[in-house]
Amino acid sequence: MRMRVAFCGLLLTVAANVNAEERQVSLDWLKIVAFAAHQTDYSGVFVYEYDDRVETSHIIHVVEADGEHEKLESLDGPKRKIIRHHGQVWCYINHKMVQVDSQQVHIRFPAFLPEQISALSANYRAEQIGVARAAGYNAQVILFEPKDNLRYAHKIWAHTGSGLLLKAAVLGDKNQVIEQYAFTQLQIGGNIDRSWIGATAPGDGLPVSPEVLKGGTPINSGWTVDALPSGFKKTMEIQRSMRGRNAPVTQIVFSDGLSAISVFIEPDDGDEDNVSGLSSRGAINLYHKVVAGQLFTVVGEVPARTVIQVLDSIRHKGK
Amino acid sequence: MKKEISVLMDGELFEDEAEGLLNRIKRDSDAHKDWEIYHLIGDALRQPEHIHCDLSAKVRERMEEEPVVLAPRSHAVKQKMRTFALSAAASLVAVGVVSWMAAQIAPETFSQMTMQQTALRPASLQIKPGSSDYLMAHQEFSPSTDMSGGAVYIRTVAYGTDGK
Repeated sequence: MRMRVAFCGLLLTVAANVNAEERQVSLDWLKIVAFAAHQTDYSGVFVYEYDDRVETSHIIHVVEADGEHEKLESLDGPKRKIIRHHGQVWCYINHKMVQVDSQQVHIRFPAFLPEQISALSANYRAEQIGVARAAGYNAQVILFEPKDNLRYAHKIWAHTGSGLLLKAAVLGDKNQVIEQYAFTQLQIGGNIDRSWIGATAPGDGLPVSPEVLKGGTPINSGWTVDALPSGFKKTMEIQRSMRGRNAPVTQIVFSDGLSAISVFIEPDDGDEDNVSGLSSRGAINLYHKVVAGQLFTVVGEVPARTVIQVLDSIRHKGK
Repeated sequence: MKKEISVLMDGELFEDEAEGLLNRIKRDSDAHKDWEIYHLIGDALRQPEHIHCDLSAKVRERMEEEPVVLAPRSHAVKQKMRTFALSAAASLVAVGVVSWMAAQIAPETFSQMTMQQTALRPASLQIKPGSSDYLMAHQEFSPSTDMSGGAVYIRTVAYGTDGK
């Protein structure tokens, strides 16, 4: 009898170990995926499905001595193009390329700091589903299921060779697909077109906006969020300029490792676009509210209830 | 079948026979209609104050047409949320009542109805093109950018970024 109890105990320990091991392997995959996204040369066509729509786009990503260069172009609908290089972002607006972002504060890379990984395993159940095919390659499929209803589930298909993300789906609490990215054709490494890169150097083809180029400055704004969902940690607090706005905007970013919530605080300029309300696109929910002359905007790839909860609990604690 | 139904309504069947027949009526929609019509005739002959008629199909039809609004959009959000919660509770009760009715009448229609319920999509407002700058500013710091690289940026410039 005692032997049997001991044996059962042993089995349980083994099962627990297997579970922990699987979780660790899944988290290791996340690091590999993030590394591959930055360090791999690739070129391909992917579809983005959201809100009953499907869009097709072309992406090229190459790593040069001066950092990453990336070009993203829509293949259907109105022309949309984004060029990214070393924290700077240009976007095709009103028939010309405009610089929209420039962040010198690069705390993102290397991605997934240890505290983010521990927050992640505290708030998601990681499960390796197995190997499947995507875009003609073999992929490791991993599901991250949230432990509460304040975040979405994430399912990823990572290339077994390079770790590059071949497909990614964001799922709601009824397992419905909220949005999905999937490569339909992809070349990893090899001979990838770099002829467009010369034009991405600032001042050489692409316009530079002195205002945007300043980027953001880290500050302590005194604003806090009381009812932040568990596991969301502040990763950034900056004062920045934003296109079309005169006053500087405070941006605070919180992340639980898989998704992020940005809080924007700025003086209300009475613009009619600043009406209170909730809107969404794919996994992104955006909530606006004007309180006492301040315009609060909360944006995140989290459910609507989460952005509402965050905005309604913003407080000013003083500096 | 019609004769059996009539006998059943007169209370002249044994319990086990009645149970078998009732089961058949539930499955056979023609027999089910006969069952209703016989009751209607009976009611009309007795001239009661209320005549039984089946509303469940109509209620179900109307509920399918109702949009499910899950996006409160008002200055008085809290107030609205409260009314929303109340009306949501009310519609849950309504769904419960209708489901119960449907379950009483025919198990098949009940399961069909629950299927239609899940097929409903919540109404939601699309992010306005003017708000794309927030999406862009957010995207730079989101872990999703670390995972999928630039591909996720496509959602910051979905249709209609031109203007502003």
